[in-house]
Amino acid sequence: MTLALQLVGIRKSFDGVLALDGASFESRAGEVHALLGENGAGKSSLMNVAAGLYAPDAGSILVNGVTASLSGPADARQHGIGMVHQHFKLVKPFTVAENILLANRRPHFSSGIKDIRAAIRKQADELKFDIDPDRQVDTLTLAEQQQVEIVKVLVGGANILILDEPTAVLTDTESEGLLEIVRRLALSGAAVVLVTHKLHEVKRCADTVTIMRGGKTVARLDPRLASADKLTELTVGQTVPLPPRTRHQGGPTRLNVGALTYARGDGRVMLNHTSFHVCAGEIYGIAGVSGNGQAELAEALIGAIEPASGEIWVDSAGDISCANNDRRREAAIAAIPADRYAYALAGGLSLADNFAIAHIRSGRYGGATLVNRSAMRREAVAAIKDYDVQGARSVNQKASLLSGGNAQKLVIAREFSREPNVVVAHSPSRGLDARACAAIHQRLIAARERGAAIVLISEDLDEVLGLSDRIGVMTRGVIVSEFERPADRQAIGRAMVDHA
Amino acid sequence: MSDFLINWIANVPVTAVPYALAALGLIISERSGVLNLTAEGLMLIGALAGAGSCLVLGGYPAVALLVAMAAASIVSLLFVFLVVVLRINQVIAGLSIVFFCQGLTGLIGTLAKWQNRQLTGLGNLKIWPPSDIPVIGRIFFMQDPVVYLTILIFFVVNFVLFRTMLGLRIRAVGENPAASDAAGVSVTLHRTLAIVVGSSLIGLAGGYISVVSVKLWVTGMVGGRGWIAVALVVFARWAPWPALWGALLFGCIEALIPHVAAAGIRVPQYLMLMAPYLATIAVMIWVGAKDNRGSQEPGALGQPHVREERR
Amino acid sequence: MHDLPRQAVSPPTVVSAPASRHFGRITLDVRQDLSQWKQAVFVGGSLILGLAVSVAILAVAGISPVTLGTELADVLNAESLRGVLVQAAPLILVGLGASLAFKIGFWNLGLEGQMILGGIFAAAISIYDIGPPSTRLLMMGSAAAVGGALWVLLVALLKIRFRVNEIIATLLLNYVAMYFLFHLLYGAWQDAKTAFPQSSPFRPFERLTDVGYGINSGLIIAVAGVLVAGWLVHLSRIGFYARFISANPRMAKIVGVPVQAMTVCIIAASGACAGLAGFVNVASQEGRLTQSFANGYVFSGVLIAFLSRNDPIVVAVVGFLIAMLFITGQTLQVFYQIPFTMVQLIEAIIVMAVASSEFFIRHRIRWIR
Repeated sequence: MTLALQLVGIRKSFDGVLALDGASFESRAGEVHALLGENGAGKSSLMNVAAGLYAPDAGSILVNGVTASLSGPADARQHGIGMVHQHFKLVKPFTVAENILLANRRPHFSSGIKDIRAAIRKQADELKFDIDPDRQVDTLTLAEQQQVEIVKVLVGGANILILDEPTAVLTDTESEGLLEIVRRLALSGAAVVLVTHKLHEVKRCADTVTIMRGGKTVARLDPRLASADKLTELTVGQTVPLPPRTRHQGGPTRLNVGALTYARGDGRVMLNHTSFHVCAGEIYGIAGVSGNGQAELAEALIGAIEPASGEIWVDSAGDISCANNDRRREAAIAAIPADRYAYALAGGLSLADNFAIAHIRSGRYGGATLVNRSAMRREAVAAIKDYDVQGARSVNQKASLLSGGNAQKLVIAREFSREPNVVVAHSPSRGLDARACAAIHQRLIAARERGAAIVLISEDLDEVLGLSDRIGVMTRGVIVSEFERPADRQAIGRAMVDHA
Repeated sequence: MSDFLINWIANVPVTAVPYALAALGLIISERSGVLNLTAEGLMLIGALAGAGSCLVLGGYPAVALLVAMAAASIVSLLFVFLVVVLRINQVIAGLSIVFFCQGLTGLIGTLAKWQNRQLTGLGNLKIWPPSDIPVIGRIFFMQDPVVYLTILIFFVVNFVLFRTMLGLRIRAVGENPAASDAAGVSVTLHRTLAIVVGSSLIGLAGGYISVVSVKLWVTGMVGGRGWIAVALVVFARWAPWPALWGALLFGCIEALIPHVAAAGIRVPQYLMLMAPYLATIAVMIWVGAKDNRGSQEPGALGQPHVREERR
Repeated sequence: MHDLPRQAVSPPTVVSAPASRHFGRITLDVRQDLSQWKQAVFVGGSLILGLAVSVAILAVAGISPVTLGTELADVLNAESLRGVLVQAAPLILVGLGASLAFKIGFWNLGLEGQMILGGIFAAAISIYDIGPPSTRLLMMGSAAAVGGALWVLLVALLKIRFRVNEIIATLLLNYVAMYFLFHLLYGAWQDAKTAFPQSSPFRPFERLTDVGYGINSGLIIAVAGVLVAGWLVHLSRIGFYARFISANPRMAKIVGVPVQAMTVCIIAASGACAGLAGFVNVASQEGRLTQSFANGYVFSGVLIAFLSRNDPIVVAVVGFLIAMLFITGQTLQVFYQIPFTMVQLIEAIIVMAVASSEFFIRHRIRWIR
């Protein structure tokens, strides 16, 4: 088997921050090669180099044994390298055929579309996909969009296929299907690279695995021979165990969500009489395939959007679903949104400012006429030390300097400084490495021990299963079933899919 | 009364053409994702260049219009440099270009003594035999060539944008530059192309005002039409044909003003001159009131493109 | 374009633009952080570049750099300095108006229209002889502030209710205000004694006069405005909120900042400043309502706000410098027949140059082989 793709000693830094430190990688035709590592290890960066999107500072790329200098994605495509990204690169208002035509140039538009339609049908048949070339991409589910992406690179003649975290947005069933396809593609002679942080995928379908950590490639093994523990140790280093938790006692209801409805701007109903309740000292996890209203639910709970009807009843403040900001603030809800820089942090402002905004209204830092800057700074410094927020030399630096994990810690530091009764966490560990994840989870459990009611909305089923006392499965904007801890993963998976 | 109507309607194409061409030019560049506020300035450049060419060459209106297009395209390269290469805030860049052009045209127009000098203009085409029909003939078949050219341009642009590979790429760049880049489409190239081509149309609009419509140059003669064109683009939801209808609407309003006085209706002069601007605001209110389905704008409008995103 | 896209602060990004294979690759890194000093160097350098280009254009237009230099130096002698200070007052106020609005993300380009309305309201007090002489100036000033605020609030309301784009709306209202002014000056308010489109001159107690040392009371108003705005922005809680509203409005709303109320108040203040500028202009320099008293102030306001990075204290300094530019422009117009629009040209070049420096502040250029 020839070496289809070789990356040797790749170095890449972003304004002084080293993302790839002499990483090397080889991929053979007919083989599924997994690239394993946690978030932030550099897997996506390395593959982006292979796909021509990043230019390496040092190192070389060889395709079929010949050194190649990739000037861009088009060049990579000509070398037969096709990448399916984690965040799909599709033009939403265009049809499937138009998207694929965009990536696979033809001389004329009308004949090109016909040509592409035929090519799509051919590929889709081989892979047993069901794709209508004339449907608009934004009407497709995420799994279908992913199929379009795969067909797109195959139509382009790729024989080196890179899939970046493909199962991140799929249900368990859909993931199974995808891994089948991955194996089939390798069998047909392509060199397939599967970038993932999930161990079970590696074990299931990879022929080889390369492990990355901290921008370096630390090991290359045969996953069928290596133990799960060994793989984990190489990937993550020392694992940090979760703190012990007391059994849930059952306390008074702190949060009651009743029959929330909400429709998006384009008319699609995202919340369809969503109802659930959370007691004090309980973590209520909401599981489900992304796109079923979880984001809207989180936004309604933290106050970013207003539901059309229904109530969000909070113990200390009553119904806050349509409340103005004053009442919400009284309710002391801690909000940990999924997209930090959209809702939780102002990147252009300092850490001190971002921390202090929680308390400024209460007058803790002086009256309306004169803001007490030094008090703000002092408390921010203390909080940052307490929550181990690293990466900034002083609290006057901009918040955008912080890495994902540290930014999240800052958000939690601020939100928890108010001793909240209710915590809304939406994908709190998205994009974080294991250590940061563990730190966040510790904080959530600590809040639970203190008696807060916590809503945990996450697409990561492992996270939900690991933390929750009760789990609600959300499909099409409504909670369809609830499970008590310890929950049966299969049952939950079925609930997620059955109603879809 | 019917004379009044006929005169008014026959004049509408002349007043509508600048709005139509400018809006179309803006649509082309905004479809590629660049928020384009330069219309007012580039129309002034076109108007000055066209007038200057007429005065220097002693006529040749067709050449003057081409010069207007070229001049606007050249100045638009400055805009391209600011927003595509340097990727600075597109609002600031657009505003700066407008005031740059206002200052530059004022300066050149005065120093070269081109102000207030009569130009030859462009004769009307007579499309015979339909032009002999009493009312309709005068309105539809006896306009200057640029009116007919404008309609042709609309057909061409519509075809290119929606039924060719080039148009597909331009629109893709405007909706999702990251996806286009990953697909191997050069964001820089297509945005530059869209801006320059669009600007040539905007320059033509300006040249038309000075060379054909008013037949002279005065400092600041575009008088806010560029801003109205910017509003028209939103009203037309970035689609060519609705922009043409919008331009006709504004052409009607603008053409009405001199005819009202001529018809003997007594309205305070300056209050009437406010009409186009107030109408534009009214249109913007109407668009905002009824559009609750979410924006139709190109997905990546206003965002400079950077290739790599480290998440 | 209902809501103009915000340029969000994004995580570090990199741009790769190959010059050509043979010459390696130019890569642009986005900087994480750059010290204030270095930023100032880039801005200063770009400013000098912009000025150099302007001087070159003037040279082509017939003004040699030597002439320009002497005129500029002349501006600083005692007599002309007085004129500069008088001119500085409305410019500073307009700069304040622009910077307050820009700070919270509202593109208030209707400064000229708001000045005009301010002037009209102030003149109305004079023409209709409202109030006793002792409070006349106060009333005129207040009326002017109200006039400017109302004119901009109109657009703010349209934006809130109908998502109307304020860039176009405020600009269009400039034209409407201008025609309204003409309507008054050629009609009901025209001074009967002269045939010109201007109002009757204001009475002596309706003028803003010098208070000694050649300092006009209009300047005192401007300085007071700077101090109030400075306190508001740097020291008060409102300023703290405003920073969040401009940095991340969605977050501000969630965190409890009264976004809409604050935004409307600050926009009104912005309009009020511009209205005051109109009042200062007609009551000090002109002494009556004229048709061109507000010309050229829109972009000057934008320029001042932009160069001062929306900081009120810096606005005062930059306003003074632009006043020097204005006076120089007027001199060039009178003595060398250079049209006053040249000032606009230079202002545009300066803004483009300084905006371009943003590129170098944000990116570091590297060469990769």
